[in-house]
Amino acid sequence: MTMAVTVEAHELTKDYKFGFHDIDVSVFRTEKGLSPEVVAAISAHKNEPEWMLKFRLKALSHFRKRAMPSWGADLSGIDFDNIYYYVKPTEEQSRSWDDVPDSIRQTFDKLGIPEAERKFLAGVSAQYDSEVVYHSIREDLDKLGVVFGDCDTGLRDHPEIFRKYFGTVIPANDNKFAALNSAVWSGGSFVYVPKGVRVDIPLQAYFRINSDNMGQFERTLIIAEEGSYVHYIEGCTAPTYSSDSLHSAVVEIIAHKDAHVRYTTIQNWSNNVYNLVTKRAVAYEGARVEWIDGNLGSKVTMKYPAIYLMGEHAHGEVLSAAFAGEGQHQDAGSKCIHVASNTTSNVVSRSISKGGGRTSYRGHIKVHEKATGVRSSVRCDALLLDEESQSDTYPYMDIDSPDVSIGHEATVSKIGDEQIFYLMSRGLSESDATALIVNGFFEPFVKELPMEYAVELNRLLAVQMEGSVG
Amino acid sequence: MATQLQTPGAIGPEAVTTRAANAPAWLAERRRAAWEAYTALPMPDRTRDEDWRRTDIRGLEPDEYVVDPGPTGHGAGLVEAMREMRDRIAPDAAFVASTRNGVRALEGAEALRAQGVTVCSLEDAAVHDEAAVRRALAHVPVDGSKFTALWNALWRGGCFVHVPTGVEAAVPVVAAHSAAGDHAAILPATVVVLEAGASLTLVELEASPAAQGTMLSDAVSILHLGEGSRLDHCLLQRWSASTWHLATHRGVLERDSRLRFFAATFGSRLQKVYWDALLEGQGADATLTGVCFGGGDQHLDHQSLQAHRAPATRSDLLLKVAVRDRAQSVYGGLITVDRAAQRTDGYVQNRNLMLSRGARASGIPMLEIKANDVRCSHGVTAGHIDTEQRFYLQSRGVDPEAADRLIVRGFMQDALDRSPHAGFAEFVGGVLDEVVAGHSAAGVEAEGPS
Repeated sequence: MTMAVTVEAHELTKDYKFGFHDIDVSVFRTEKGLSPEVVAAISAHKNEPEWMLKFRLKALSHFRKRAMPSWGADLSGIDFDNIYYYVKPTEEQSRSWDDVPDSIRQTFDKLGIPEAERKFLAGVSAQYDSEVVYHSIREDLDKLGVVFGDCDTGLRDHPEIFRKYFGTVIPANDNKFAALNSAVWSGGSFVYVPKGVRVDIPLQAYFRINSDNMGQFERTLIIAEEGSYVHYIEGCTAPTYSSDSLHSAVVEIIAHKDAHVRYTTIQNWSNNVYNLVTKRAVAYEGARVEWIDGNLGSKVTMKYPAIYLMGEHAHGEVLSAAFAGEGQHQDAGSKCIHVASNTTSNVVSRSISKGGGRTSYRGHIKVHEKATGVRSSVRCDALLLDEESQSDTYPYMDIDSPDVSIGHEATVSKIGDEQIFYLMSRGLSESDATALIVNGFFEPFVKELPMEYAVELNRLLAVQMEGSVG
Repeated sequence: MATQLQTPGAIGPEAVTTRAANAPAWLAERRRAAWEAYTALPMPDRTRDEDWRRTDIRGLEPDEYVVDPGPTGHGAGLVEAMREMRDRIAPDAAFVASTRNGVRALEGAEALRAQGVTVCSLEDAAVHDEAAVRRALAHVPVDGSKFTALWNALWRGGCFVHVPTGVEAAVPVVAAHSAAGDHAAILPATVVVLEAGASLTLVELEASPAAQGTMLSDAVSILHLGEGSRLDHCLLQRWSASTWHLATHRGVLERDSRLRFFAATFGSRLQKVYWDALLEGQGADATLTGVCFGGGDQHLDHQSLQAHRAPATRSDLLLKVAVRDRAQSVYGGLITVDRAAQRTDGYVQNRNLMLSRGARASGIPMLEIKANDVRCSHGVTAGHIDTEQRFYLQSRGVDPEAADRLIVRGFMQDALDRSPHAGFAEFVGGVLDEVVAGHSAAGVEAEGPS
C-alpha cells in the first residue's frame, strides 16, 4: 500500500488536536491518593467477587514495597498522592451511540468514533476516564461466540474463563506499575475468540482521560483459542491540563496453538501524560503475535511490548515507531523471550527525535538453554532532526543456547543533505522534502496500519513536523 | 572493620603504608586517598550495578590475596617465560617485566633511549618524570570504581613509556606482567604518554602458570595520545583458569591522534575488563579489536566505551567471541556522542560463536547520541557451527577436533587481520589453535610462587 505523503500541515492547527476537555460530569470518584480503602471502594463499587478484592489488595502491597525503577525515563514528576484513581463518568454503559450522555458523546464525536465504526470496525469500545461508556459488537460475531466487551463485564459475565487467564501473563508483582494497575484497574477490553474463528475486521477500543489529575488504569485481556485470528486496535487521547496525568495499563494476550493476534496501538496522549504500560503476550505452538506500536504523544512513555514464545514454531513480531518532540521522552522497545525450539522473532523500530525530544529503544532478546533452532532479528533506526535532540539504543541479548541465529543492527543518523538536495532539485521545498523523508522513514510501520489509521498518523506527523525546517 | 589476623603481605592498610613509604609525597598521598576510596566503596553488586548484572564476583574476597610475597620468590622463571614470548612476538622489542616484586627485567631499551624515549618502571617515572605521570594517572581517578581505587592504592613496578614530540619509537615495547602462587595478587600497571606527533607500538602480556591455586589480577593501562600521535597497543591475557581478572584499559586521544588497540583474551576464571576510548580532540580515531575464546567454566566479560567528545571523531570496535563447554561471554558496549561531537562516526560489532550446549553469550551494545550529524551503528550476532559445515569437513577427512579449530580460526580471522602488529597476530593465532585444541590458556610454565 502506498500512503499519501503530501502533508497538509497548513490545514491543521499547531496545537494538540485532541487537547480539548469537557466539563467534568463524573457521577462517582474516589478520593485523591491511594490506600487500601480506595482500593476497596473501587472493588465494592464494581460489586466484585472476593478473590478480585484480595488480588487488588495484594497488588497494592506489592506496589508499595517496590522501589521506583532506577533506569529508563525520569519519573520524579509523578505524585501518587495527587491522583484520582477511579472516576466514573456515567451510570450505565450504552450499546447504542444515542444513549451515551451528550457531553461524552460529543467528545467522542470530535474524535470520530462512531464514524470509524460505521466504516469498517467489527466492534468498538470507548473508555472515558475509568469506565467504558460505550460498547458494541457486530451481531454476526456475537453469534460466533466472539466476546468483545470491557474487562469489568468480562469478570462478571465470563467468570471462569476470566479467572483462568487474568494475571497469569503479567502477575501483580511483575513490576511497580503493573502492581499499581492490578490494585486499581478499571475498564479496558476483554476479548475472547473461540477456536477456529477469524475476526476479519479489527476490533477497536478508544481511551480518553478527561479529568484533571486523573489516572487511567485500564486492563486488557485477549484470549485467542486454537487457530483463531483477531486484530485489536487501540487509540488514546487526553486533554491538556496544567498538571500531569498518569496512564498505567496492563495488557495480557494469550495466543493458543496456531492462533494469530495482532495488537495495534496509536498512542497520542497529550504531552503531560506519564504513559507507563506493561504489555505481554504468550504464544503457544505455531501461534503468531504481532505488536504494532506507535508512540507519538505523552510526556514520558515507558513501554516494552513482550512476547513469550512458549511453543514450537511460534513467531513474534514487534513493529514500532516513536516520535519525541520538545519535552518528550519515548522510552519504548520490545522483549522476545524464546522458551521453545524453532521459534522466531522479528523486531523493527523506527524513531525520530526533534526539538530537544529524546527517543530510547530498549529491547531484550533471550534464548533459553533448551531452545534450539531459534532465529531472531532486531533492527533499530533513529533519525535526529536537530542538534538539541537525543537518541539512545539499549538492546540486551542473552543467548543461553548454541543452536541459534541472532542478529541486531542499529543506526542513528540525520537526514542526509544529499537526500534533501536531490528532492529540492526536483522542485520540493525543504520542508516538503523533510516531511517526505520522515514519512518514508516510518513507511514500514505505516504500511501495517489500516488505511484510516495510516492517514491519521501521517496527519499527526505533519503537525509534529511543523517548523522543523528553519 | 573486623580485626582479623591478616596474612602477611595481603591486600590491606599495611601494604598501602609500605607502598606510600617508598613513594614521593604526592604519590603517597594519592595511594592513601585511593585506599580510603577503596574501603568506602562497596563491592560491585549484581542487583545494584547495571554493568555487573551478568557477572557475579561474590566469591572474591580481595583481602585474602597477597600483594607483597616477601623475598622468597624472585620470579626468574616467570621472567624467562615472558622473555621467550617477547622473542616470538617481537624479538627486537624493548622488554619490561614486572612481578609482584616490581620490575624484574628492563632490557633492549638502548635504541629508544638514544631517541630520547623514556622506558622505565612506573615507580621510577613517578620520581623522574613526575609531571607526565601525574597527568596520565589523573585519567584514572582514585575513586572511579572499587577496583581502580584498589589499583591506585597498591600498584607496584609497572611499565612507563614516554615518547617525546615528533619521535617515532624505533622498536616496540613489550610490557610483561606475571605472577605465580596460591592467593597471589598482582596489579599490572602500564602508562604510556605520547607527545605531539610521536608514535609507538606497545605489547602488553599478562600470564601466569596453570593451576597454582587462585589468583587475583587488577590491571590498569593508561594511554595518553597527544596531538597527532599514533599508538598501536596489543594486549594478550593468559592468566590461569583460577584467576580473577579485573582491568581498565583507557586511552585518551587528543586532536588527530590515532589508537589501534587489539586485545586477545584466553585466560582467567572470571574477567571483567573495561576498554575506554575517550576521543577528546577533533579528528581523533580509535580502532578497537578483540579476540576471545572461553571454555570450561570461564566467565569472560568485556565492557567498552567509545566516548565521542569532539567533532569529526571516529571509532570502530569489533569483538569476536567463541565460547565452549559452560563458558559465558558478557559484552556491554556504549557509544556516547556529545552535542559538540558533530560528524562523529561510531561503530560496534560483536560476533559470538556458540560451540556447545551450556555455553552462553550476552551482548548489550548501547548508543547515547546527542548530536545529529553523526553516523553511529552497531551489530550483534550469535550463531553456531553448522552441523553441515562439520559434516562437510569430516567428509573431506578432517577429524572433528581439527574441524572445530578450522572453523574457529576462520571465524576469528578477520579480527586477527586487524592486529596492528603482524608478529602479535601470528602468535595469538597459534595460542588460539592450542586453546581450541584443549591446551591450557595459561601462558607460562609452573614454578614456585613469585
